[in-house]
Amino acid sequence: MPAHQRLDALAGHLTSAASNTPAPPSPGLKKILEKKEDDIVITYATRTPLTKARKGGLKDTPTEELLIHILRAVREKSGIDPNVVEDVCVGNVLTPGPGFHARSAVLAAGFPVSTAASVASRFCSSGLLAIQTIAGAIALGAIQVGIAVGCESMSSHQDIPPVLSDAITSHPVARDNLQPMGWTSENVARDFHVSREAQDRYAEMSHTRAERARSQGWSADEITPVTTRWVDPQTGEARTITVDQDDGIRPGTTYDRLSTIRPAFPHWGPTTTGGNASQVTDGAAAVLLMKRSTAEKLGQPIMAKYVTSTVVGLEPRIMGIGPSLAIPKVLGLTGLTREDVDLWEINEAFASMYVYCVEKLGLDVNKVNVRGGAIAIGHPLGCTGTRQVVTVLSELRRRKARVAVTSMCVGTGMGMAGVFVSEV
Amino acid sequence: MLEFRTRGYQGYAVKYSPFFDNRIAVAASANYGLVGNGRLYILELTPQGIQALKSYPTQDALYDVTHSEAHSFHVLTSSGDGSLRLYDSSLAPEFPIATFQEHSREAFSCSWNLTSKATFASSSWDGSVKIWNPERQQSLLTLPTHSCTYSTQWNPHTDGMLSAVCSDSHLRVWDLRTPASASNHLTMQIPIHSAPFSGGVGKLQPTFPPSEALTHDWNKYRSTIVATAGVDRIIRTFDIRQPKGPLQMLQGHGYAVRKVAWSPHLPDLLLSASYDMTCRVWTDGGDHGGQARELGSMGRHTEFATGVDWCLFGSEGWAASCGWDERVCVWDVRSFMHQ
Repeated sequence: MPAHQRLDALAGHLTSAASNTPAPPSPGLKKILEKKEDDIVITYATRTPLTKARKGGLKDTPTEELLIHILRAVREKSGIDPNVVEDVCVGNVLTPGPGFHARSAVLAAGFPVSTAASVASRFCSSGLLAIQTIAGAIALGAIQVGIAVGCESMSSHQDIPPVLSDAITSHPVARDNLQPMGWTSENVARDFHVSREAQDRYAEMSHTRAERARSQGWSADEITPVTTRWVDPQTGEARTITVDQDDGIRPGTTYDRLSTIRPAFPHWGPTTTGGNASQVTDGAAAVLLMKRSTAEKLGQPIMAKYVTSTVVGLEPRIMGIGPSLAIPKVLGLTGLTREDVDLWEINEAFASMYVYCVEKLGLDVNKVNVRGGAIAIGHPLGCTGTRQVVTVLSELRRRKARVAVTSMCVGTGMGMAGVFVSEV
Repeated sequence: MLEFRTRGYQGYAVKYSPFFDNRIAVAASANYGLVGNGRLYILELTPQGIQALKSYPTQDALYDVTHSEAHSFHVLTSSGDGSLRLYDSSLAPEFPIATFQEHSREAFSCSWNLTSKATFASSSWDGSVKIWNPERQQSLLTLPTHSCTYSTQWNPHTDGMLSAVCSDSHLRVWDLRTPASASNHLTMQIPIHSAPFSGGVGKLQPTFPPSEALTHDWNKYRSTIVATAGVDRIIRTFDIRQPKGPLQMLQGHGYAVRKVAWSPHLPDLLLSASYDMTCRVWTDGGDHGGQARELGSMGRHTEFATGVDWCLFGSEGWAASCGWDERVCVWDVRSFMHQ
């Protein structure tokens, strides 16, 4: 018998073992990388700069004007014919009567009367809910082209829970929803032993990464500058300014400085501070969605594919750990493994939940929030869900990577997560 | 630990005698079995260490060895030229007493029928399993597998039931009691790479690509349990009553697994030998759903570990292993188990 046949057989025993060493591509990955004509795709994504509430460049730009700015940016820069946009869904949390703002802003931004509008709210994940809503409507054939927006003017409206009746306040779990978010952060830190040091280290990392993204010009790729009215707090004089950068980043933030900040909620716990929690911020973000076949018909450039998203519920008192439940759920739905995911975006509502989620899920921190997060650039509640998608798609494009998972914890005890595939 | 050097010949298989507690047969080949001669060693454990009682040179490489269950001195080998040779170690000459030549390519394994004791089986890279009677030159039966068949084993509980694993990633079970028909007695064909059975309904399952299966063994106490292993480094256990998928998956070996052997003493214990140069001992958790895990690892071999077998006698836990480092090791498995 020829020796080379025996050698080949033997080599087969070894080479397949060696090539298996990095896990073979999961069938889930193979499936989501397939391109089908009824895939829901994103053909344009952008955001405004995120600026500090009541201090930053967008402090005098109310909800409806933020909406007009972002919708106009989509209309002008995507090159979409406004007549084919059938619906706009606005993720928003704080604005009272937001339906008025949404529909009026759509019209004022130059869309025809035939473009409808609605509002989606699931607190911090409203922006992702808006994407899910529009994508769902397109997938079901209800509409063909839609825009998902996340928008919040925290300068205009404060985050104060409503007064609810005894039916709620006497319920042992439901009443926790009326507690401030700082309380939930300390609960997470205490229940899961997240140290102050770990939180401050992650906060420092967020600022460092955000500053690098800004100075390298990476975040400019996400941002459409906004020219708006701004009242000088010293003189009371109104001026027109152009805002083109996030202003929450503190360059040169160090762990040593963060570690000296006094706890913000000493009555609940010693770990959460103004330095390791998300900032109060104004901003808006938007993505333009349609089927792959529609994009090809309209000549729209396909930027990314929306794969799916999902939601989980959990105890309100530890709402921060939502991503640690939502991410495994969405990976299960898609059949993806951790190794298949190139980048993760987890909203940094508080460093306590951020540290917990990264460690609990065993993520490589070098793949998580690589352009910083809400601790550095702020967390405009309704905007964040969409903003994270805009950010991560830009970074995937820069790295020529493919798969991103975005997730956020949700006040009142929920978590949401979505999967996106960059196609540029 | 006792050691014996098969100088100039790399070990391919090792088998304890079912009749003598101190006798071991080793099949070895020169030049790693790629080209050249083979050698069969009959070793004896003596107070002076391991001694070679007999050694038989062969024309082509030897890949497997088994003892006759009917005659205490008979040993059967399978060879690179496709032949099976029967030796009688009580006789003086260094020639086989019978040769069985039908396989057209490398005969990679042989197994003696443990229940009727009158027949034996062989498997070959020519894509067939053959059943033989030592008194007849021609095979009794040829069972096609259509792909390189690395291992065949008789079921130790049911007369006439045997199995094989092939490079097509399937476990085949034949029942010779079934009437002759177009299926050639094939009663079961289980895809080894299928998703684990215990995953539950509706849950998303990890999936595994097909990969060459190199070895398998029937459990000695639980008549329906088989362990398989091969190139994908995973040892799987199957219950042939529930052939949908593996019951347990034992992972840990760094390279392909060449040999698995269930303990003759304990119903849940399993030994394996691998190209990663280790022999490992595992429990599959038993029938009562205990935790399946690795219990220990023997790393004395310095080249591919290719064969391992349990001693049937004495205190439970003695085993012999062989490898390409030209070493036969006799060792107490218990001394390598994690405490």
